[in-house]
Amino acid sequence: MDLSLVLNTLMLLTITTLLTPIILPMLSDKLKSSPLTITNTVKTSFLISLIPMTIHIHSGMESLITIWEWKFIMNFKIPISLKLDFYSLTFFPIALFVSWSILQFAMWYMASDPHITKFFIYLLFFLITMLILIVANNLFVLFIGWEGVGIMSFLLISWWHGRAEANTAALQAVLYNRVGDVGLILCMAWLASTMNTWEIHQMTSPHQTPTLPLLGLILAATGKSAQFGLHPWLPAAMEGPTPVSALLHSSTMVVAGIFLLIRTHPLFDNNPTALTLCLCLGALSTLFAATCALTQNDIKKIIAFSTSSQLGLMMVTIGLNQPQLAFFHISTHAFFKAMLFLCSGSIIHSLNGEQDIRKMGGLQKMLPTTTSCLTIGNLALMGTPFLAGFYSKDQIIESLSTSYLNAWALLLTLLATSFTAIYTVRMTVLVQSGFVRTPPLTPMNENDPNVTSPLTRLALGSITAGFLITSFITPTKIPPMTMPTSIKLTAIAVTALGIILALEISKMTQTLILKKQSPMSNFSTSLGYFNPLVHRLHSTNLLTGGQKFASQLIDLSWYKLLGPEGLANLQTTASKTATSLHSGLIKAYLGSFALSILIILMSSY
Amino acid sequence: TISSNHWILAWTGLEINTLAILPLISKSHHPRAIEAATKYFLVQAAASALVLFSSMTNAWHTGQWDITQLTHPTSCLILTSAIAMKLGLAPFHFWFPEVLQGSPLTTGLLLSTAMKFPPITLLYMTSQSLNPALLTTMAILSAALGGWMGLNQTQTRKILAFSSISHLGWMAIIITYSPKLALLNFYLYTLMTAAAFLTLNSMKVLKLSTLMTSWSKTPTLSAMLLLTLLSLAGLPPLTGFLPKWLIIEELTKQEMAPTATIISLLSLLSLFFYLRLAYCSTITLPPHTTNHMKRWHTN
Repeated sequence: MDLSLVLNTLMLLTITTLLTPIILPMLSDKLKSSPLTITNTVKTSFLISLIPMTIHIHSGMESLITIWEWKFIMNFKIPISLKLDFYSLTFFPIALFVSWSILQFAMWYMASDPHITKFFIYLLFFLITMLILIVANNLFVLFIGWEGVGIMSFLLISWWHGRAEANTAALQAVLYNRVGDVGLILCMAWLASTMNTWEIHQMTSPHQTPTLPLLGLILAATGKSAQFGLHPWLPAAMEGPTPVSALLHSSTMVVAGIFLLIRTHPLFDNNPTALTLCLCLGALSTLFAATCALTQNDIKKIIAFSTSSQLGLMMVTIGLNQPQLAFFHISTHAFFKAMLFLCSGSIIHSLNGEQDIRKMGGLQKMLPTTTSCLTIGNLALMGTPFLAGFYSKDQIIESLSTSYLNAWALLLTLLATSFTAIYTVRMTVLVQSGFVRTPPLTPMNENDPNVTSPLTRLALGSITAGFLITSFITPTKIPPMTMPTSIKLTAIAVTALGIILALEISKMTQTLILKKQSPMSNFSTSLGYFNPLVHRLHSTNLLTGGQKFASQLIDLSWYKLLGPEGLANLQTTASKTATSLHSGLIKAYLGSFALSILIILMSSY
Repeated sequence: TISSNHWILAWTGLEINTLAILPLISKSHHPRAIEAATKYFLVQAAASALVLFSSMTNAWHTGQWDITQLTHPTSCLILTSAIAMKLGLAPFHFWFPEVLQGSPLTTGLLLSTAMKFPPITLLYMTSQSLNPALLTTMAILSAALGGWMGLNQTQTRKILAFSSISHLGWMAIIITYSPKLALLNFYLYTLMTAAAFLTLNSMKVLKLSTLMTSWSKTPTLSAMLLLTLLSLAGLPPLTGFLPKWLIIEELTKQEMAPTATIISLLSLLSLFFYLRLAYCSTITLPPHTTNHMKRWHTN
């Protein structure tokens, strides 16, 4: 049996299966989609996609499918081709697994929504475009997927479009993503003009790649993956429903930027400037996001900032020249982050819409499954040994510690790791333990299997995914094997320090004294002053500058003052001065005559 | 003065001219007229003294009294300043507007045209030995001062005085390069100014407000005044354009294009007050409103 045929067919079948709930209702009126059918479709897709992955793991087979070629101009043809290599074959089952769980959860979460089918169609469409992005072989198809996820993100964040904050947040997301798109298009243009191709496997250069296209790619990743500088849209995107946050802004869409960098890694390999930029940008993002997460009181925002922080960590890994490790972290991160979001969704719905952790407490006794999954997810996030997060995160920190690169980035990342532990423990303590601060008489239950089974599935994934992936994949770059014991234990030590610190501090909150405002806490609470500074200051300056130019500079100055009116003023001034000279006194006149003659005679000598 | 060859005779002619016109200026025995006559006498006397001085210096140094053979440089300079004083070229022009203001219109005509003839003739005869730099400076200064001062006037006699000053500037600038052109300029200027003065005299117009209502007395003459004023300004296709054009051409041939540009630009200022005069006399007809009622008597 020709395994390559099986591989190709099944991958194509995966994608077409996902398209059926969209296409079938168009063909006949009797075949309407419902949330259940869509969930089952995604489940089927997942099961189908497992087979190509196992084929790849078994024999290392990769393939390239070219569907059609768009003959653009004479020597630049753009094929619509799909690349089935390690990255796409591994990410498909993971993405589909997580999406299946989220869709099942959304059946319970959005049950009271009148347009629930449309919601599911949107989520499905998002999934399809994301998969197109993953499986793309050239930047053209990738761009199609890139734009698709951007649009769906906009539509889904503003799902409750009656809310003004939701609309603002959606606009923010679109605008920041657009700024990043500029970078991507810059890179595509450069590639088209220099290498005459957009194919990923043709993108290598023997000597150092110029920094300009790489800057474009980094800009694109900054926009899509919310690195520092283009980051405000990610916390604002929490205005969307929790399934949206879980699918888009934790596991799949935000990793698109990092995925782009992984795909175009051969270009980065020999340009240390770009790598250093990635490193420092990632370190800055991760520390900034972790700092902001320390003082957040909204449970979804804490998880959003933790996503942002992990994305910074992935960027750091790219900067360390370890794309495979970054992909590894993407995969494990998807599991526990989606689970964290689903747990928070379950908590929010049970508390009738309460999202403030200061008003939660003691949920351990009332929502046991949810809180256990929350704990597992948090432990995985912190990098507890042998859970999923450990395999990727610890390896990243080890590589960072043993590399000869930037020590500043190392310091920031370690600090961010300890901050991760701190805010995670804070969230856990305030939500689960302690006295109950919620209003009484809330009918909390976990009876619906649509809630519990996704959570348990993802919990299983969070625990085992790391182990499974490391055992089946051989790394392409040699991981650091030998290092001093203290370096090996850095990650764990730093995390443990964070945990102890958080526990100690949370004990101090029993006394309920309002803490004094200090510059540090203000910085963290107001998200680093970035939002008001950039959003208001920049636009205000631009608009007032524009007004000054148009009305004052052009209208008043050039057309009036420096032109006609100025000339007229000059003449009237001269006229007045001259008139004042003509006093009418003959003595003065004769005196001036004498003086003039004297001057004339003097000047001739 | 015009036909003399000897300096003393020229000077005598100038003095007789001065003395002759003094009673004409002070005919009306008005204090302003007396003041004008006094100023005129003082300035002209000083100028004549300087003419004599320069001719004597020249005679001392060169031993001859021929007007065309004025060779000593100091003499030339002093003579130039003296003639400027007689003519009313800047910076020796201060007396001219006040004298003109104090005299009746016909005497003003004489002062502007006939009295300028002898000094111009003297300049013509000595033109080869004059200092071009000094003359150019005085010319540009005249054009500038004539322009700027004229902008601020409402009395027609003073306006015509300043117009005369700026025209003299044009004459002075070309006299060393092409004396015939200066003479042509003078003749045409005389013609136009005579027309202007006589028109104003027949309408008895002494200030702008009078000018505005004078169209009802002599409508055709007001229309002609418009054309005369525009000709004074130097607009083609009127006569006044001819001297200006030829002077600019001659200056350009002498590699003095920037100077030509400057003096033309300064004439724009005088164009403005000519236009204002024209506007007041001709264009403010009904249904345009004026500030004053119509005059009902013609005297």
